[in-house]
This record gives sequence, structure tokens and C-alpha cells, in this order.
Amino acid sequence: MTTTVQSNPPAIEVRDLVVRYGGGRRAMKTPPAVDGVCFDIAPGETLGLVGESGSGKSTIGKALLGLQPPTEGTIWLHGKDVTAASLKERRTLASELRVVFQDPYSSLNPARRIGQTLAESLRLIGIKGDAARARAITTLESVGLPSDSIERFPSQFSGGQRQRIAIARALVRDPNVLVLDEPVSALDLSTQAQVLNLLADLRDEHKLAYLFIAHDLGVVRFLAHRVVVLYRGQVMESGPVEDVTSRPRHPYSVALTAAAPVPRPAEQIDRRAHREALSVGSASTAPPDPKGCPFASRCPLADGQCHAERPMLRLIGGQRVACHHAEQVGVTWPPPPN
Amino acid sequence: MPLYIAKRLAIGVGTIWAAFTLTFLLVHSTDNSPGAVRLGMGATPEEVEVENERLGWNRPLLTQYADDLGKMVRLDFGQSLINRGDVRDQLSDRLPVTASISVLATLLAGIVGTALGVVAAVRGRGTAKAVNAFSGFSLSIPSFWLGVVLVYFFAIRLDLLPATGYSRFSEGVGSWLQSLALPVITLAIGGAAVVARMAASGMREALAREYITTLRAIGTPEWRIRYIHALRAASLPVVGALGVQFIVLFGGSVIIENLFALPGIGQAALFGATGNDFPILIGVVVMSTAVVVITNLVLDLLTAVLDPKLRTR
Amino acid sequence: MSSIRQAKHQRIPAFLRSWGGVFGAGWLIFMFLASITARWWRPYDVAEQDLIARLQGPSSEYWLGTDAVGRDLFSRVFTAGALPLQASAVMVLVAFGIGLPLILIAAERGGRVEEAIGRFAETIMSLPSTVILLAAIGAIGNRIYPVMMIFGLLVSAALYRILIGVAKSSRQHLYIDAARVDGMGSIRVNLAHVLPSMARPIAVQAAIVYAIGLLIINGLAFLGFGPGEPQPSWGFMIKDASDNIFNSPWMMVPPGVALSLTVMAANALADALAGPLGIPEYTPPKRRRTISASPAQQSEGTDNLALSVRDLSVVVEGGPTLVSGISFDLRQGEVMGLVGESGCGKTMTARSLLGLLPAGVEVSSGSIIWQGRQIAGLPERDAIKIRGREIAMISQEPMVALDPLFSVKSQLTRPLRRFRGVGRREARRIALELLRQVGIVDAERVLRCYPHQLSGGMAQRVAIALALTGSPKLLIADEPTTALDVTVQAEILSLLRALVAETGMSVLLVSHDLGVVADICDRIAVMYSGQVVEAGTVAEVLEDPYHPYTMALLGANPHVADDAPEPERLAAISGSVPPPGNWPEGCRFADRCQFAASECSVAFEPEPAHVDGMSLCIRTGELRRTGAQWAPEHRGAELAVESEAP
Repeated sequence: MTTTVQSNPPAIEVRDLVVRYGGGRRAMKTPPAVDGVCFDIAPGETLGLVGESGSGKSTIGKALLGLQPPTEGTIWLHGKDVTAASLKERRTLASELRVVFQDPYSSLNPARRIGQTLAESLRLIGIKGDAARARAITTLESVGLPSDSIERFPSQFSGGQRQRIAIARALVRDPNVLVLDEPVSALDLSTQAQVLNLLADLRDEHKLAYLFIAHDLGVVRFLAHRVVVLYRGQVMESGPVEDVTSRPRHPYSVALTAAAPVPRPAEQIDRRAHREALSVGSASTAPPDPKGCPFASRCPLADGQCHAERPMLRLIGGQRVACHHAEQVGVTWPPPPN
Repeated sequence: MPLYIAKRLAIGVGTIWAAFTLTFLLVHSTDNSPGAVRLGMGATPEEVEVENERLGWNRPLLTQYADDLGKMVRLDFGQSLINRGDVRDQLSDRLPVTASISVLATLLAGIVGTALGVVAAVRGRGTAKAVNAFSGFSLSIPSFWLGVVLVYFFAIRLDLLPATGYSRFSEGVGSWLQSLALPVITLAIGGAAVVARMAASGMREALAREYITTLRAIGTPEWRIRYIHALRAASLPVVGALGVQFIVLFGGSVIIENLFALPGIGQAALFGATGNDFPILIGVVVMSTAVVVITNLVLDLLTAVLDPKLRTR
Repeated sequence: MSSIRQAKHQRIPAFLRSWGGVFGAGWLIFMFLASITARWWRPYDVAEQDLIARLQGPSSEYWLGTDAVGRDLFSRVFTAGALPLQASAVMVLVAFGIGLPLILIAAERGGRVEEAIGRFAETIMSLPSTVILLAAIGAIGNRIYPVMMIFGLLVSAALYRILIGVAKSSRQHLYIDAARVDGMGSIRVNLAHVLPSMARPIAVQAAIVYAIGLLIINGLAFLGFGPGEPQPSWGFMIKDASDNIFNSPWMMVPPGVALSLTVMAANALADALAGPLGIPEYTPPKRRRTISASPAQQSEGTDNLALSVRDLSVVVEGGPTLVSGISFDLRQGEVMGLVGESGCGKTMTARSLLGLLPAGVEVSSGSIIWQGRQIAGLPERDAIKIRGREIAMISQEPMVALDPLFSVKSQLTRPLRRFRGVGRREARRIALELLRQVGIVDAERVLRCYPHQLSGGMAQRVAIALALTGSPKLLIADEPTTALDVTVQAEILSLLRALVAETGMSVLLVSHDLGVVADICDRIAVMYSGQVVEAGTVAEVLEDPYHPYTMALLGANPHVADDAPEPERLAAISGSVPPPGNWPEGCRFADRCQFAASECSVAFEPEPAHVDGMSLCIRTGELRRTGAQWAPEHRGAELAVESEAP
């Protein structure tokens, strides 16, 4: 993550983003859903945002899209501050910044034909009639769907096809940044592979920048160049995806990568032994102490400092890690499985 | 839990205040004046003016509002403009009649409705259709007409029950119940229909839940699944429906009291409305709202007992 | 793309396809037209008195009889409809005019705005409306339209309470968010997406409220606050009838029937608009017929064989086959994975072992031999003895698998007392022990909890403890970790592994995740379209798959080994899983298979594969010889339009 201004501004730049839900005194007492998150995405680059439920990854996506107002922090789109963009500004922004949601069954209005859904989006920027229709057909074909799809209703398509339509809906305004909010989690394995391949192909063809939100490290590793690991709204670790997934430096990243099972039994036996040797604690529902590291209550490396002082992100090797003991990780910890 | 009760109480007090304010505004928005009502047709405008001055009607609206609100808090509604009696005394004589009818009707509707709903939910498609048809039918029969029909058959043709009149509880439970039987049944049928639909859909919804599969998978006997687990789940919407039904039935009893000549709050409201007796109207509205609020509070507590999510908050 | 259903576009709206809807709409229109035109065709004027013919029954002269002053009831009944039908419509408009904006605002803004509007609505709703209306009449006089508008205000609060949930869940749809991301304004979003999706509940409530309005107007008329005499109203005609009930009981029939039918019509219309409730019909577990086709073959050979399933088929009664001809064995203490994509029949297979198939679904043939006994198609009273005691189950969503209204203690101790015949105190002790066994440290606290107080992982542990109450010998785990976070999933998998080691029970794990199967299972059966397509030990099948479908599934999995290069493209399977009833002849995977040939379209027997497994591919041997691998498509292949039209 470079902080110097380049000649080409990043597609997306997020600084010190804080998002709290609700207002008033009670909301101030609960920890924020997103707490001081920074990242940027270059044009044509894919950034993976990984975390478990409650990590704030979807909230970050919503803040970018203007669906959830940020409490603090700044968001730049191509060097332009869009943190508090008005609806009118959003309408033009929406041509550059688009979204694909997780659930293809809920993201398309069942009462409207596919063509109407795509045209609705175009009408907001003044493209109507035959021009809109032609553009809708071209876009549908570009995601591998036949042109007569525009006459059909969402119920006439399978889950994977609907996700293609959702992608077409995002592409129809010719954007250069896509927020992908768990776009394949609701799909079966074989369809998931189709959609992941499609997303990769589209990125290569249109030089799209992706913010790829996912809980599955495997799919992130396939699609992303860099990755940000979130835990309870805070960045634990970020860096190139191979480094973070193969040589994680934060105890939470270690636990997360070790927990994901692989479909190769011999390898999985080793991974399981490795995972069980970590002795990472179970998650509790209690909110963490805002003073210290959010992972401290589960972390086998935690000491007094971890509970008292929130670790800052530090550059170690190729990664940025928010851990007081990051130097131990991969050296003296985790212990070799016995 | 204490917070929950406090919240419900606050809403209740707010409701009574809203009822009072609404009626106060209605009364003061008319061309009619209490002086005119009190002196009747024969009075001259000057006499009416003097009487209004004496009653404080010509003071600024806010002063009157503050004054009346203060009195209302002390349960002082003033005197009737027609018979000059104390409004509180008149209404507290009548309240037990209306309360008996609506409470008994709500209970009857709850019991009969739940039973019908349970039968409809567990006895297959045919029974469900029959119960649904019956409740659709009962919902559509106006109570004041049903009352006439019941009076004709049970009081006139069969001579089983008294057609009109009220016998006090102190005069014997038997005759008290007899005098209330027809009004209560008349009122309860519509309520039972609503409760039956609510109970049936609640039961069916509960029986389609995932935890029912869990219970079956550990060999739980079917009666236990139906009458302990599903019925308990269905009881929540039913209690909610009863709260609404009580309001409906309390209102309905106004009409029914008229039909069966029962000396309840409804009759007072009717006399008040016919005779523009403002203090009676305000008193009736505030007292009825208070009864509804108290009943709803009881049902809220019952909901809290039934629902651990509320209880453990 | 064979899964696409043809959309039906009927011209007749759905609610008019039922008798209730036709009656409701028809009667309301008839009554409205008849009553507003009555003045031109009625036989007598409403005020015309015939003092000779007082209190008459129906006759050729007076079709519906006469009242106490000899006025024609027929003319009066039909004239009386106009006012309530119109005033109630005005009331409905006022109620929705006030209610709907509040509902939409509250649903959109949420938080404090919603709370404030909700409080206001609750207050209004608790007002006894009839009394308020009488007070209004007392104050502003007997003016029907203003009084009904006040009633509309009161009703709007009830509408708020009923419809706010609908509006909020309608806003949950992601297409609302998508429209907002497009830059669509708030009013436009509400008009284009939120309101249309609420159309049905709004129409239903409008019809119900309309019926209530009719009752209130006539109820007030009954009390004397209707249109002034001699203008007729149903309510006052009923009052009149009740005064004359000793002399002429007939008088109560015409107005009562007219009013009841009209109200009934509005209610019937509401029912028809609502359509069938989305709630499944409850069918009590019935005595299933025992399947004749399956003689109870005794298990031979391996003496520790716990379960043996042979040629099991599961069908929808009068509908498609869901599972066809499945066979597998499970030994004592063995963990077997049943994997496949959604719709391949794995859950139905698992549920058939417990006799817990959904209503209308049944085992049609084959056998399930459990501990040497045939349990397929067992009557309910015998099946119930096996559930929990011998075979238990945990399911996918731990948060909904426990009854939210009962404490953990109550849910654990009841089955414990039933299964083990112990008293209250002993049951509590065992419950604590079970909770500790499933890795819950503060068992005392959890015992007192209700399900909503537990996290997902904790709830799944409790669900496992519940399944252990009867000390089962086989645990069916249906996607037990799918709804959980990956670190919690790892904990639950470790727990299951430990329990198998401790208790020696067998586990049948249903999963779509090959990684989970690789972690915990000894054997695996891969399912596709209701069949097992490949079976063997986990090591054999996953490290060296025989069947093209297994190869493809493994190639589609993006979890590569650490430090291995990420593939540029994943292996994908074109098209989608065909739905039951639409399975191709011969090999059901052939349409999507890279290696399909002409011989694949005819029926064939499974080929032996691995040490003691099988592969349902006629080209198994050939593919092994040539060393065929499922290849990912080239870069950019996904951008090409699929050849088949949907």
C-alpha cells in the first residue's frame, strides 16, 4: 500500500474508514462494525477482503457503494472524494462503480424481465429505447448469455445464470470498478467455477478493478492479487495473496488458513494436525476490549501487552501485520505437530 | 424485563393521554357548547353565554386543556350536562357490565378459537377447509344482526335465555351468567374466527419449522410435538391477536349493550353522543382506553412469560 | 439449460380463478351497480308507505315484504347499499393514504424514525375505536363521511402494524440495494420496487379493511347514526327489525342477508387475493406401507457392518424420482461422506434412513438393513423406536434446529428421561456431562440458556449433545458445518472426530464440500442426479478419481496446496444439474461430460473401481488407460455465448 500520490490515482482508495450502525449513546458503546480500515486498489487489480461473519467485510462494501454512510474516514474513487456523495453524484458515480451481490435470487426483481432490469439502470443516465436494448443485448452476450434472455424473467434461469445476469447488470454501464460481495458463495461448486472463470476473463478483457469480498480463502486466492484479512472490523494482515495465504504472519491469519480444509486427504491429515496444534481459542459472543487487540482473547501468543495496547499495522516481509508478536509467527509458533 | 414492563407502561399512559387529547380536541372543534346542551332548546343565546362563562368554556383553550388534564389525572371528569350527576360515579357503576361482557367474550373467543385452530392445523385438509369456511362466515356476520337472530331463536322460540336486561353478579352467579350468555356468545363468534385462523396458521407454521425435524429425529412422540412444542409456538401470535380482539370486542359491546339493553359504558357513550354530553364522552373515552391499556398490559406480560427472548432481555 | 421452467402468462388474474374470488368481486360489483341505479328501477320509493300492508312477509306485490309503516323492503334494501359501499371505500383510501407513506418511511429510515412511528401507531391502535367514533359523533354531529375519515385514521395504525413487516422484508431484497447503487432516488425506489412487491398484502388488507368499514358504518346506523329517515340503511333496518321481532321476525332477514353477503364478499375477495398460504400443510406421520419388493436379506461377510443400503429409490408420490437405486455400506465406527451438488438427492437419502422424508415423498423400492433388520418403510410406531436411540441426526442450521421457546436444559433432559428412564436430577447430571463431552466448558451456564443466547458454533454443539442423548450407534450429519464460519467448522469437525473415537458410533456425513469430507471421512460416495456415481475410500476417490464428474468437482475446487501455483482457470462443468424428472437416459452426466460418447446414452451397470468401490461410467476402463484428465477451458471461454438457448 503506497501512500505517495502517483501519476495514476488508484481506482479505489480508502483511509481510516470507521462505520458504526445506529446512533446515540448505545451505539457508541458497542464497537464499530468497521474500525480504522485502509486499503487501495489499482486499476485492473483485484483486492480480496476476507473475514468471518461479523468481520465487517460486507459493511466496507456497503460504505463504498453509498448504502451505509461512513462514520469517519475518506473514500476516493479515481482520486475523487466520494465519501459523502449526493444522490445525483452517485448517479454518475454509479457508472464507474458497480456491484454484484451474493444472492442471485434476491438481487433481481422477480416481477421484471431481464431487459427491463438492465434498461432501468441505463435510463438513469439517459440511455433509452433501442439504444438501451442494443446495449443490454451486447452486455448479456458478453457474459455468455443468449440475446433472447432480455425477454425472460429471473425465475427462468438457474442460480449460475442469474449470477451472470447480475454481472451483466453491473457491466451494462461500462464501469471500471466492481464491488463483488460474496458473488459465488450461494452457488454450487461447478457453477462457482464457471462464475469465477467469467470474472477473471472479464477482468482481463476490460481491465476492471475488483473489491472481492469473500469468506473462502480458496476462491480469494484464485481471483485476488492482494488480500486484506479482517477480524471484528479491523485489519489483521494485508499483502500479496500468495504471501498471506502461504506464509501468514498474523496468528488469526494462521488460524484462518489452517482451518480451511482441502480436498486432498493426505495433505489434509497434515493440515488437521497443524490446525489442532495451534490451540486457538473458540470465539466468544462477548465484544472484545476496545483497548487491546481484538483477537487477544483467542490468541495463544497473547500477553499483557496485547490486552492493553492495540497493535498497529507494521510492514514485515511483504505483508503488513497488526500483531505485537508477528516476528514469532512462523518461527517459534506454531509448534510442530506431534 | 423490568425495562420491558416500564416501556409498556409508558406506552399505556401515552395512549390514555392521546385518547383524552383527541376527544378534547373533537369536543372543542364543534359549534355546540356545553351551555346550550345544559339549558336545552328553550334557552336564549344570552343565557347560554352566561352558562358557558360559568362552566369556564370561554377561557383560553390551553388553560382549559391543562385544567381538564389535571382533573382527569385525579379521575375527575366533572358533571354530566344532562342529568347533572357525577360522571365518575355514573361510569364506575357501568364499567363492570361492559368489562364482564368483553372479558368473557375474549376468553370464550380465545378458548374456542384456539381449539378450532388446533383441530384445523392437525386434522388434515378437509377439516382445515371446514374451519376456514366457518371462520370466514363468522367474520362476515354483523354482530348486531347475529344478536337479533340469536334472540329470536334462543329467547323467543326456545325461551331458554333472557332476551334483554342485566342481572348483577351480586344477585347470583347463575342469573348473572344467564343474562350475559347471549351478548357474550354474539360477540365472541367473530373473535373466535380471528383467533382460529391465527392459531391454525401459527400451528402449521411451527410444525413446518426445522426444530420439529430435530424433535422427530430423537423420536419425540407426536402428541408432544403438537401440543407442547407447536402449540406453545402458536400461543404467541394467539395472545397477540387476543389483545387486538379485546379492543374490538370492547368496542363491539357498545352496540351489543344497546341491543340487549345492558346498562354498560356503551349505553352511556350512546346517550353522550346523542345528547352531546361532553363530560360523559370524555369520561367514557378515557375509561375505555384505560381498560384496554390494562388488559393489553396483562397480555404483554403473558407474552413475556411465553417468549424467552423477551424474558431474558 | 434444461432446468428452465416455461413461465405461464395467464390473462385472468390469479384471484379470479377461485370461487371465492369470483363471488367476492362479482357480488360487490353487482351490489354497487344495483344500489346506485336503484332509484331508476326500484318498484316503490323508499319513503312510500302502505299502511294497509304493514309488517308483511314476501308477496308478489312486495317481493321482500314490508316494514312497520308498510314500506317496501326490496326497494329499501337495494337502495341502502350505495352509502356504505362508498363511505367504506373513502375510509380505505384515507387509511392507506395515511398508513402507506408512514410504512414506507419507517421501513426506509429504520432506527429511531421507525421506533417513533411505531410508538405512535401502537398508541392509536390501543384506542377503542367504536367509543372514539361515538365521541366524534357527539362532538361534530352525525356526519358519516368525516366520521369514517376519523375511523380511517384509526385503521391506518393497524395497517402500519400489519404491513411494516412486509415492507421491511421487501426492502431486504438485494435488488433494492442494486437500484440504490444505480443512483435511483428514494421515491422512485419505493414506487418502482417496494410498493409493487407489496401489492398482494396491500390488496388483501384493503379488502379486509373494506369489510370492517361496512360493518362499522352499519353498526353506527344500527345505533341511530346513519342517514336520516326515510333514507334506508341496513343497520337501521336491522334495528327496526329487532324492535318488531315479536310481530314480524321476517323483517330481519332481508337487510341482514344483504349486509352479511356484502361483507362476506369483501372477505372472500381478501381470501382469494391472499391465495394459498405459503405454509406447508401439516401431514402427521402415517403408517407407511412396508415395501414388498425387498426381502430382508441378512447381511453376510463383514460382521461389523452397521448399515447396508441396497437399490434404494425415493420418489415423490405421483411425481418424479428423487433417488434411484442407491447402494452403500457403512461399518461400525466408520465415517462416510455423501457428497454432491444441491438437488442430487443426498439429503433425501439420509432422511430416508430415519423414515423422516417430507410429506408426499416415500421410499419406493430397495432395502435399508440396519443391524441386520430391514428398516425401509417401517411403520411409524416402529420407526420412532429407532430414532434417537439407534440413529440420530444433526442438521445444517444449528440456530433453527433448537426450539427457541425451551431452555437447553429442558430440551436435553426430556429426551434423556425418556431414553434412559432416569429422574429429573440424574437427567440434569447427564445433560451437563453431555455438554462437557461436546466441548462446552461452562456447561452450567449453557444449560440455563435459551437458543437465541447461543452462538452458531455453540448451538451446533448443543444440537450434537441432543443427538447423543439416546446414545445412537449412527449419527447422520446433514451439512453440519455449512452455516458456520471456517474456524468454527474446524472445531466442530474435530469434535465429531473425537466423538467417533470415544463412542465408536458411525457417521453418515452429507456435504457439498470435498474438503470437509477429506478431513473427517473414511469412505465417500459421490452423488449426481439421484445416483451414486463413484464410491470408495476417501484417499482413493479424492486422490485418484475414476468418474469424470468427480474429476470435474476436484478441478473446480480452488483450494490448491500451499505454494502450488494457482491455476489460471478452474475446471468448470458447463450447464447446470438437471432437476428430478428431467434426467437424461443412460448416463445422467453425459450432457455435461467432456468425455461423453455415443455409448453413454444407453443404460449400463456400474464398473468396479478402487479396492472395493465403484464408478458409474461406461468408459471408466478406457479413461483409465488413456489417463484422461478433466481440463479447464481456455482463457476467455466464459465470454462466449452458450450455444443452447434457455
